[in-house]
Amino acid sequence: MHPTSLMMTTSLMTIFLLLAYPVLTTLSPAPRAADWALTQVKAAVKLAFFVSLLPLFLFMNEGVEAIITSWNWMNTLTFDVNLSLKFDHYSIIFVPIALYVTWSILEFAAWYMHADPFMNRFFKYLLVFLIAMVVLVTANNMFQLFIGWEGVGIMSFLLIGWWYGRADANTAALQAVVYNRVGDIGLILAMAWMATNLNSWEMQQMFVTAKNFDLTLPLLGLIVAATGKSAQFGLHPWLPSAMEGPTPVSALLHSSTMVVAGIFLLIRMSPLIENNPAALTLCLCLGALTTLFTATCALTQNDIKKIVAFSTSSQLGLMMVTIGLNQPQLAFLHICTHAFFKAMLFLCSGSIIHSLNDEQDIRKMGGMHHLTPVTSSCLTIGSLALTGTPFLAGFFSKDPIIEALNTSHLNAWALTLTLLATSFTAVYSLRVVFFVSMGHPRFNTFSPINENNPMVVNPIKRLAVGSIIAGLLITSNVIPLKTPVMSMPPLLKLAALTVTILGLMVALELASLTNKQLKTTPTLAPHHFSNMLGFFPPIIHRFTPKLNLVLGQTIANQLIDQTWLEKAGPKALVSSNIPLITTTSNAQQGMIKTYLALFLLTLTFAALLVSY
Amino acid sequence: MKDCKMAAYLSHHQKVLRLYKKSLRHLESWCIFRDKYRFYACLLRARFDENKAEKDMVKATMLLKAGEEEFWSNQHPQPYIFPDSPGGTSYERYECYKVPEWMLDHWHPSEKAMYPDYFSKREQWKKPKVRPHSLQIPGSFTNHQK
Repeated sequence: MHPTSLMMTTSLMTIFLLLAYPVLTTLSPAPRAADWALTQVKAAVKLAFFVSLLPLFLFMNEGVEAIITSWNWMNTLTFDVNLSLKFDHYSIIFVPIALYVTWSILEFAAWYMHADPFMNRFFKYLLVFLIAMVVLVTANNMFQLFIGWEGVGIMSFLLIGWWYGRADANTAALQAVVYNRVGDIGLILAMAWMATNLNSWEMQQMFVTAKNFDLTLPLLGLIVAATGKSAQFGLHPWLPSAMEGPTPVSALLHSSTMVVAGIFLLIRMSPLIENNPAALTLCLCLGALTTLFTATCALTQNDIKKIVAFSTSSQLGLMMVTIGLNQPQLAFLHICTHAFFKAMLFLCSGSIIHSLNDEQDIRKMGGMHHLTPVTSSCLTIGSLALTGTPFLAGFFSKDPIIEALNTSHLNAWALTLTLLATSFTAVYSLRVVFFVSMGHPRFNTFSPINENNPMVVNPIKRLAVGSIIAGLLITSNVIPLKTPVMSMPPLLKLAALTVTILGLMVALELASLTNKQLKTTPTLAPHHFSNMLGFFPPIIHRFTPKLNLVLGQTIANQLIDQTWLEKAGPKALVSSNIPLITTTSNAQQGMIKTYLALFLLTLTFAALLVSY
Repeated sequence: MKDCKMAAYLSHHQKVLRLYKKSLRHLESWCIFRDKYRFYACLLRARFDENKAEKDMVKATMLLKAGEEEFWSNQHPQPYIFPDSPGGTSYERYECYKVPEWMLDHWHPSEKAMYPDYFSKREQWKKPKVRPHSLQIPGSFTNHQK
């Protein structure tokens, strides 16, 4: 084997072993040390990150990619399922980023969850999630991808419901599972189609043999799966509800890693999608609708975590738009840059929440820039990166996406929605910074607020560095697979920046109006639409169950009870016999004229019979 | 508060006070900055004070009804709730870590030996609880004694 390939394979296997070792040690009945989470888990992830830099540098220097098929799991005569790992440029770039973000989050979680009596179990769950995520992104066949897919879903359930004594947390965890399961129906449908028609779940074989098939059905299944996992419109309510979990869970799962699994699936399947206009159009329109709808919902939220959650959903919609533009590599770039600044936004939120004794409402924050300057500065950097401020990480991914959208000859409606969502991003980002960092404190000073603990500050600083330079690093070192449009009118080139600046100016004006003595309530209908999340959750969560229950009641009552009892059973016997009984008993009342009439009637019939 | 019982209905006074308090809370949710809130809170107080001397109960009830309707139409869809209050973000968060008090009876003697003062006092607290039923102190340790 070539030394470079050997080095790559060895380092990647080492990463798996490093991550799996702490989990395997928990199988032992011996009690774990009190600082097991820090000394074992965080150290393992940190070491795995540095080990993962080797394949990354090998890829950047020599373009080395690897597919490792190590074990024949099960087979029939014509169908093989192998343990097959694919280390192409998507997984080689994503794994170090995921490990870097997880390292920072674990260090932060050691501070955030230090008072939790089951902190070791919490870290174990996060590590199992990370392993499932790495299995998902490195899978070279659908079966392995499905294992990782389900693994991240189950760990999401366990982590959202961490504080299981709280009813809302249990509801949110169940909501996540049910919505993800609806999406999984699509994935299983696609897998079944591929198994029966393409006779394989291996990616390379699928891409080759699928050329002569109409792939609309399996692609619809994959899009439904991505809709569920990546919180697209229709299956999105679970993501803001998932903020019931601890902030490290929100930072790791529900911003940078798990929720991008759906988009990652579509990126992996992009050779199948790129020749299907229906699937591309569906992705484009669904993504545009999602990005605008969730950005609208974020405008009037007051819970800082919910604002960031809706922001995540909006960016996922943007990634879906990019898939619809047939630019999977741009979508992947946005996944990578988004991971940094979104995780940082969550960590900053967590730091502020913990400092204010679990206060999450931005109406009761304010003036944090004086009390936690590093956190609020990083919050500002993250917000700027999110809005696509030039030369921060988000700029290198968002701007090419908007340019690709502007210069494509596709759906102008999708373009309009995306631009509007981009300006809304600036509005709610400024709203967060304005209410949290600026002005005077609107909370009681029950406990001293400081940033003395390096376990809080260092992870946030690390992610801030990533939020600034990650975009530049990745675009400088990765050759684009598709040539971007290089020349366009200045208006199209500056469209993203223009709408962002317009959004910022509108937000500044609105912010200045909030403190003026104009009126107490805004125009209520648009505010309520945004604040109540478009009334989507109440309608769906009440209408669908009510429909099912009414249908069940109708079937039970009318179809079963009423039919068997009244139409076919005892009551039917009664209702059919009573007219006969009534007629017969009426004829036997002892009246001579009745008997005479019957006699004459019988005589007439008999005479007719005899004559004919 | 041994004989404290809730009435089956609220008095007019209670209803007015409850309307005033929830109006102030929702006003606080709308007016985020304190100076603006104080301005509108003073206006709200003046509106309530204007009719506080009303003796005609029919008119007072009509005013209350109008107030409730105005509150309903102007309420905030996401009113501010304190984190530990019902509906708040950390309400019942630590219920899963709470263990019933009777679990202390099941500690191992070596664990109890770590807190000798508490467990010695605990034995004294528990002693009166085994009185005859009629003499038991209501509301404590009644259901966990074997």
